Amino acid sequence: MHSGSAVKRMDVDQARKDLCQRTLSDIQRPLDRLIYLASMRDYNTGVYHHDGLASRFGEEVACEALADCHREAFCELVICPLDELVTQLDGYRSSTHTTPREFLTAWGRLEPYRVAVPVETDPLSAEFLFSNFKIALAVLEARLDSRPEGLAA
Amino acid sequence: MIQLIFFGFIGLALLAALGFLMRRGGARPEGDSGVLLDARKALDALQGGLLPEELVHRIFAKDDLNYVSSTSSKRVRDLFIAERKKIAIAWIGQVRCQIASLKRFHVGAARSYAQLGLRTEVELACRFTALLWGCRALQLAVSVAGPYAAPRMVGATATAAARICTVSEQSLAFLNPVQLKPIANNSLSS
Repeated sequence: MHSGSAVKRMDVDQARKDLCQRTLSDIQRPLDRLIYLASMRDYNTGVYHHDGLASRFGEEVACEALADCHREAFCELVICPLDELVTQLDGYRSSTHTTPREFLTAWGRLEPYRVAVPVETDPLSAEFLFSNFKIALAVLEARLDSRPEGLAA
Repeated sequence: MIQLIFFGFIGLALLAALGFLMRRGGARPEGDSGVLLDARKALDALQGGLLPEELVHRIFAKDDLNYVSSTSSKRVRDLFIAERKKIAIAWIGQVRCQIASLKRFHVGAARSYAQLGLRTEVELACRFTALLWGCRALQLAVSVAGPYAAPRMVGATATAAARICTVSEQSLAFLNPVQLKPIANNSLSS
């Protein structure tokens, strides 16, 4: 006979699989996944919400499945080489339809990646990722500065 | 005179041995839950956050430096070196801090729970001391010469810390819920 926590873990695994198949498979870049999953989290409570997932598996299980996937995206991103992070950041920027200059200014000033990490993340890993974002932004900015004016816009 | 000094030394050595044995015997059997919790946290922080091979490799990876050097300006390269140095020093500091916490556990409480032999204890003490000094030396090397100054020392530090974690995990194994289960069952059935 299974204990309650084992049954719940199985439900979370199932919900996670469902989330990966239906939603996350369409989001190729770990950076996009990190931002998407962070946006599913209520900033006031730290609880994740996803209507479709909650209707199938219940609020609590859906929340845990989203948190698991969020942690997974974070782990993937924290160990990715710098060149890959620069490519992902540039790709993400293109998908937002802002100009490179606008994007770099906003990300440099607001540092939105700081609120995108999962709770209970190891502080050093989080700082490492923030540091890599800072460098990646500097690389993109230097790349932009070296382009002729017309192309940079 | 020489005889007096000789016997004086022997007397001091015996006193030191007596003090050591008294300290060994003085550990409280019930232990200190605060030290235990700190040790458990330190172990989790080391194994979960600080020592995973991929993270250590990424922090000290030279391919990132090569990438920045080949594609960006000197300003970006300088920023990269400064940022990595900051992270590398923080990593070493964190490892040292958590290892010191595990050392406190072993010095103060491990005997009560793990029943370690004297030989194991001496071996562990040497390992802790060597690792803590190693961390200081590495921190100094990185502070002076940058994050890529001593790659072998980084590897050796991570390996030594992982070994200490393995020993500490065995000492703390009695805290695992799986091992506590039969105790819970016994108390429920009685």
